[in-house]
Amino acid sequence: MEDVTVTGGVRTAPAPAADARRPVRRRPPLVVRLRPWLLLAAPLAVIAALLLYPIGRVTYLSFQRYGLKEIISGHPTYVGLDNYREALSGSYLWHTVLPNTVLFALVAVGGTVVFGTLVALLLQHLGPKSRAAVIASALVAWALPAVTGTYVWVWIFDPDSGLVRRLLQDLGLLGPNGYNWFTDRLSFYGIAELNVIHHSYPFVAITVFAGLTTVPQELHEAARLDGASAWQRFWNVTVPVLRPVFAVVTVLSTIWDFKVFTQIYLMPGGAGSNPDVLNLGVWSYMKAINQNQYGLGAAIAVLLTVVLLAITAVYLRVLFKEDEIR
Amino acid sequence: MTARSSARARAGKFTATALVLLFTLFPVYFMLSTAFNGRAGSGTDSLFPSHFTMRHFSKALSSGASGGFGRYMLNSAIVTVIVVVASGVLALLGAVAMARFRFRLRTTVLVLILVVQMLPAEALVIPLFLQMKDLRMLNSLLGLAIVYTAFALPFAIWNLRGFVAAVPVELEEAAYLDGCSWWRMFRSILLPLVVPGLIATSAFAFVLAWEEFTFALTFLSDQGRMTVGVGLAEFLGQNTNDWGGLMAASTLVTIPVVVVFVLAQRRLTVGLVAGAVK
Repeated sequence: MEDVTVTGGVRTAPAPAADARRPVRRRPPLVVRLRPWLLLAAPLAVIAALLLYPIGRVTYLSFQRYGLKEIISGHPTYVGLDNYREALSGSYLWHTVLPNTVLFALVAVGGTVVFGTLVALLLQHLGPKSRAAVIASALVAWALPAVTGTYVWVWIFDPDSGLVRRLLQDLGLLGPNGYNWFTDRLSFYGIAELNVIHHSYPFVAITVFAGLTTVPQELHEAARLDGASAWQRFWNVTVPVLRPVFAVVTVLSTIWDFKVFTQIYLMPGGAGSNPDVLNLGVWSYMKAINQNQYGLGAAIAVLLTVVLLAITAVYLRVLFKEDEIR
Repeated sequence: MTARSSARARAGKFTATALVLLFTLFPVYFMLSTAFNGRAGSGTDSLFPSHFTMRHFSKALSSGASGGFGRYMLNSAIVTVIVVVASGVLALLGAVAMARFRFRLRTTVLVLILVVQMLPAEALVIPLFLQMKDLRMLNSLLGLAIVYTAFALPFAIWNLRGFVAAVPVELEEAAYLDGCSWWRMFRSILLPLVVPGLIATSAFAFVLAWEEFTFALTFLSDQGRMTVGVGLAEFLGQNTNDWGGLMAASTLVTIPVVVVFVLAQRRLTVGLVAGAVK
């Protein structure tokens, strides 16, 4: 509440000052008032044409039957909620796609945030040299492109000649026939989790570490004098001070992990040949682009978008609370 | 007592650091060791490579059976340059408008910019594919660059806004008092001061355009037009996988991104959390 009144006061303050300087002109001329819109015209046009219009069109498509036949004739038929009915009915969505999407995201977000925070806490206790080494290596992992990173993990777990198979066989833990980790849903997603956590924890670690340096040292010392253990100090001093950082990091990770596509699609079977491992994004892509059922694919895509917009609403709330949108 | 516990703490710290470094760097190490390994037959051969070779790189880059990865890198570079320049210019215009002016609907525009950032590529790829097909731009690098520019733009504006806002208004007013026009002030005062922000924004656009996968996969079918994101798949065959070639090409894709990340690192992280860390 206090914040709001303070910024409100600041915002109104320049107006009388400007008036005092130029008492004649009450209202700025039209050119001046239009200036922000002149500047915004080009960027907003690009956003409208390539992001907003397509989102409208995909929603429109989701109410149509739009396949190869309709592409050729150019006359799609309106089918109402049929596509949604098809996507939502049956057990495939509820037993396979949705658990794949939601459970994957939950584990990935939890893993990323917890591991990233642990690394940030470790960084705080390291000397300058090892700290620089860990930060540099985290940057390299962050920079490793999703496409190449996925191929590396696929290579490590390759069923024929991959490192894990050979090592396990050398240790006598795996029979001569090996094992295909990519056919089983659980191990498939286990590998995907490794890939995604490896790729996204550096963002959390570096962000939380930057936040940790802002926690006043006196708070920690006071807590220590009161006999608080390191664990208690983390939960009662660090976490409350860094709550906005954790909120932003968690919400952004959730959004990113819900729409993970490349890392699933590029794994063996992830591009459709193994129906057990599809998530919402890949399923929608399969239906629309690979099977030419654009209407059905669009309906699934709209469902995914609705989920993401709901999470974005939480994000916006956090930002408004932190007075970040000004 | 304290000496022993601090020794244990040091050992714990050392172990934790070693484990973090191992997990973080192992995939990168394995990519490099396979790429330079003369006998990249199986995973264990590549763990400690014995025969150093550049063969995988030269084979990947020469246009042969697995199709000239150099061509794909050139295509990606063309797309990336267009995206970096276009998104930089457009984002600067938008950022100045958002940071320097108070106008009606300003908060609405800001929220809109944030929300469109969150739209999933999987939802946009369907209508954009149909659109590009109608426009006959499916195998066009320009078409791809236009789409990437739109995707880079919301975050670029959001990020650059903070840098523009950080330039003291007093500097602008001083320029006006000296008789500068708005445009002159923009060129001589504001633009030079937001260069660090432009670098961070360009780095973000660079990474997005260089390694993008979903749209490249959907739009490009012509071999000569492929970008690196989709071109890598060519090393995986029906029956045999050329892991040495794939890891060599992956290394070539990764190097520019690592360079850009290291150069722009501090500014990029600052932009991503945009003041949540004050």
